[in-house]
This record gives sequence, structure tokens and C-alpha cells, in this order.
Amino acid sequence: MTPPPYASSRRGFLALSAATALAAAGCSAPQNTAASAKPSVSGGTRLTRIGLDYPFTQLPLYSTLLKLSTTRAKQHGISLLTTSDNANADTQASNLNTWVARKVPAIVSFPMVFEAAEPIAKAALDAGLIWVTYGGSLQHQSADIQFSFREGGTLLGEAAARWAEEHLGGKGKVAFLTDSTIELGRERTKGMIDAFTKLAPGVDVVAQEQAIDPDTGLSKAKAILAKHSDLNIVLGVTDAAAYGGFKALQQAGRAKDDGKTFVGGQDGSAPSLLAIKQGTFYRASAALAPEDIAAAIVDVPRAVAAGKSDASAQVPIALVQRADTARIDDLLAQNDPGAS
Amino acid sequence: MTTADPALTRPRVLVTGGLTAVRHHPLIAVLAAMVLAFQLSTGSFLNPANLRGIATDAATLAIVAVPLALLVISGYLDLSVGSTLALGGLVAGWLAGHGQSPVVAVLGALAAGAAVGAVNGALCCYFGLSAFIVTLGMLTAVRGLAQQLFPLPLSGFGPGFAWLGGSRIAGIAAPVVIAAVVLAAGALFLALTPAGRHVFAIGVNREAAHLSGISVRRTPFALFVVTGVAAALAGAIKASVLDSVVAGTSGAGFELTVLTAVLVGGVALTGGSGSILGVLLGVLFLGGLQNGLTLLNVPTFWQQMAQGTALVAGAALAYFAPRAAR
Repeated sequence: MTPPPYASSRRGFLALSAATALAAAGCSAPQNTAASAKPSVSGGTRLTRIGLDYPFTQLPLYSTLLKLSTTRAKQHGISLLTTSDNANADTQASNLNTWVARKVPAIVSFPMVFEAAEPIAKAALDAGLIWVTYGGSLQHQSADIQFSFREGGTLLGEAAARWAEEHLGGKGKVAFLTDSTIELGRERTKGMIDAFTKLAPGVDVVAQEQAIDPDTGLSKAKAILAKHSDLNIVLGVTDAAAYGGFKALQQAGRAKDDGKTFVGGQDGSAPSLLAIKQGTFYRASAALAPEDIAAAIVDVPRAVAAGKSDASAQVPIALVQRADTARIDDLLAQNDPGAS
Repeated sequence: MTTADPALTRPRVLVTGGLTAVRHHPLIAVLAAMVLAFQLSTGSFLNPANLRGIATDAATLAIVAVPLALLVISGYLDLSVGSTLALGGLVAGWLAGHGQSPVVAVLGALAAGAAVGAVNGALCCYFGLSAFIVTLGMLTAVRGLAQQLFPLPLSGFGPGFAWLGGSRIAGIAAPVVIAAVVLAAGALFLALTPAGRHVFAIGVNREAAHLSGISVRRTPFALFVVTGVAAALAGAIKASVLDSVVAGTSGAGFELTVLTAVLVGGVALTGGSGSILGVLLGVLFLGGLQNGLTLLNVPTFWQQMAQGTALVAGAALAYFAPRAAR
């Protein structure tokens, strides 16, 4: 039986949107291995447990990553431990300290406050554990998993600018749904606005409003439309916010496939991917692949344990548009690993 | 004996009545000043499309604010409405996505909301546990349940379900009509029914109410259930409007927004006083403020400061002005 369209897995509306500041790139700490890790055939050590500390459990991406990384870990005979930080930096610190005390051999942590994680990472390394920083770098770490947040914004801004040149003759009105509360959001916002305004200087920027969720995106876009009913372009720092803008435009009477309207976001969330696939004026999303992230969560600490000198990973980001049907289907399938 | 000309006295009565209303609900004056200021500074605040947008956004807030206000007047509180809203939206969306009729989808959501409300009500009214603790716990527990049941976002509910959030009844958006019905029902309940008067009596002094023969458990229990139902209905409406719902983030923080609207509207957190007109004003104040700041392109952090300041000022006015008028 083919699952109904809504049932296919949805990449988080706010996927990664709550990420914290990216610390300045630091020197890699000595690559220690855990006392409880086992010797491997290759001469390094084989991990038996990895602790994944992802504080934003409210995001749909968390469920997807948990499933994918658990599966991948099992393939290598590794059990995956998790924390429940409730998006609280204090709870996160407490949970991480517990793991260090319990000597969990490898910890992959997405620090909410990088400065607060630094001494815990140092303690982990001092205890002979592997510490992998997710979404940034620390001074004390074995390796990191990086994402280019600005690049996602730049890809989206450039695509929208090119579309404005081709379909609006370089004129029109654009509204940005932004985030200035966290570094990830600021990076994405800057990439998006800089790229767009540089390549489409003739398009009027009529609003820059804080919005990362669909509800806020909807109400902000409604207000903007009340003042600028001829708004052409809405670009979002997240797909969730952009999807709210998409709905506001439709509710204002814009046809789903209006040729003079462009909505785009970032994350590759499932509702947005479906809207792109259906040929609506939701035309682009800068998407990360959950499988790439899940692979990095398991493979980076394994590589450190195996003694690899440069174990860090950069998770790629790509712009998805209507023509990328196979890529959209692949991302939708990745978002719902249980359905495949 | 002289008789006043009705044509002359009617305007005077209206003016006097208006002034009395403002004395009792100073938020009317604040709201009027805010509307005037936003209209003068943006030129588009009173644009019909913008007013429709404010009304639609405020509708879900009003739907939950009315029963919550009754609950607060009776001396209780429900902090779990944000999570109940999410659960309601998810249940409705899931049912609609599985081909169920919109009616079944909404009824499913209402049943889920009623279940949450019944648990809250039973623990608070019959077991005597603190409403603050119980509903705070339920806020987390229901959110966890929603995420466990629906870990991935739902979307694409079909045109039938879109009716709930997107259709118009006599030219008015369906959520606004529903909110108007809820407001009217709440006002009539408080003003015209014995149970409405019992709500005030229980809120003023539960012991005295009990000694007067009022059921001090049944009425608040029913209000908990109605509040849960209303939150779930609001969730279903939001899911319909957005054609999507996410378990982890839908309705997050909504409990504070709705409680703010209730308190700014002059409902006493200690129970025993409040009105549905005040709640309506509180809802419109919050909705109008948010919209106006967006129209003005006020930077994010200034918006937060302005909202916080305005809320404190509005609440202070709602608290002090009626006392000064006595």
C-alpha cells in the first residue's frame, strides 16, 4: 500500500533552526580513545557505544536523525545512547557531565552554548574519551561535524535573484523572513540577503521580519501583504517560516502556480519539498540530507577511534528545485526512514 | 412634568454608556489609541485585508481564551493548552490525512482535548491537586505523547479539511465565526446562567460557595474539559490553515500568550472577577500590537521590548483604572 502523502517522513520544519553559535575554528585536541573501546582489527580501537547529545528534541529532524543514526550504528555493532536536554543548556551540561563520569567512550554533542561545553569537552578528552562537536568547533575536541549555514542562504538568495531577473525583469518586491536570535540563523539570513540584494538590486526589499515557524511566517506575511499586496518573493531562513508565507500568499488569493511569485526556504522540510514537487510557487529549498548527517554522527567518532588523523566531516548542502524530482523523492524517503 | 426629547437623550445615553464602559475596561481606550497610532504611522492598519488578517490570527487565541478565562475566574488555571492544541491539530490532521471526513477529524481532535481536560479536571477538582502543578506537568506530558505518536510533521490534509480554516461564512472567515460563537456563548453563560454565577462564587470563596450548595467540583471540572476541547479545536483550525502540523513546535508557548490575553483583559489571576468583553479586548490588543509592529518594520528586539512594555502597561491600566473609577 502506498502511504498517503502526508505520511511520508517530514524533514523538520525547524530543522537545525535552533542551532547555537559556531565557535571560531580551533585546533584539534589530541585524539584520545575511550578506555572502554575495544581493539580493532585495523589497529585502532573499536567503539561499542556512542552518546548522541542533540538538545533540540522538539524538532522533527531529531526523530529522523535518531532512527537513521541508530540503524547505522547497529550496522557497526555500536549502541547509540541519547540525552534528553529539553533544549536547556543547564540540563545539557548536567547530562554531558554524567556521560563523562560514566566514561561513555564517544560523545557527539551539539552544544547549546559552546563556551559552556568547552570545559566538559576538555574533561572528556582528559578522561580518554572521544569528543565530536556537532554544528561547530571547540578548542578541545577530537573532531567536528560542520555545516555551512551561510552557504545555504547564499544558494537560496542566488536562485531567487536569478528567477527575479528572468521572470520579473529584475523588478518587484521581496520580503525576508529572518532569524537574528542565534548564530545559525544569522549566518543563513546574511547569506540569503547578501546574495539576493547583490544579484537583484532592482527588487525592493519591503520587509525583514523575524520568523522561524509556520505560524509566525503566516501572520507576518499576512501583515506584509496587507501593505504590499503585489509582493512577489518571500524567502525564509527556515522552510517552516517560508511555508507560512506560502500559505499567506495563497490565502490572499494568489494561484498556487502563479508565475510571478517565488517562495523559498532552507532545511528541506517535507511539506516544502512536496510543494516544490507539485509545481507550486514554492520553488526552492536549500536542503541538508539527514542520511549525510546520520552517517557523520556514527562515522566521525569511529574514524577517530580508528586513529584517522583528519576525521572531521563537512555535511554538504544543496539547492532543491522542481526539476530535482529524484533528489526530492530521496530526501522525502530519508525523512521517513520508518516508511522505507 | 417635563419629558426629555428621546432624540436628544439617546446620544447622551450612548456617551455616558461609552464612558462607563471605558471606566470599567480602560483597555478600550488603550486599544483605540493603539489603532489610531498604527493607522497614522502605517496608513494600512485599518486596511480591510489587514483587519481580516488580525481577526483570523486572533480567532484561535479567542477560542481558547474564553474557557480559560472562565477557569481562571473560578480560581483554577490550565497551562497545558499549548500542548493540547498541538495534540488536537495532530489528531485532526492525521485523521484527515487518512481519508476521514473533516467532521470526524475535528471530532477526533475534540475527543483528544476532552481527554486531556478530563485528566486535568479530575486531578485538580476531585483529587485536590494544585492546578498549577498538574497542568504544568500535563504541558510536558502531552507534548511528549504528541511527539511519540507523531514524531514527523504531518501535511497535505486535503481540500475538505481546509474548509475549517479557509472557508468563509457570510463573507467572514470560518475561524472568526467560530471565535464569535465561543465569545457569545461565554458571555451568555457568565451573564445569564446559574452555573455562570457559580463560576464567580467559586472563584471568590470556594468554601462559602460549597456551603451555599454550589457544586464546587463539577463546574470547574466541566470548565477544564471545555478548555481542553477549545484548545484542541484551535489546534485543528491551525492545522487546517497551515495544511501542516509539527508535534514538537506547534502551539509552543501558546499557553503564555493566551494567559496573557486573559490577564491583560482584566481577569484576576486570584479568581472571582473578569468578563468576556475584557478577554475580547485582551485578544484584540495582543493581535493588533503584533500586527502593527510588523507593519512598522520594527526590528525584532525592539518589537519584543515594545510588546513586553505594552503588556505591562495594559495590565497595569486594567488593574488600576477600575479602582480609581470607584
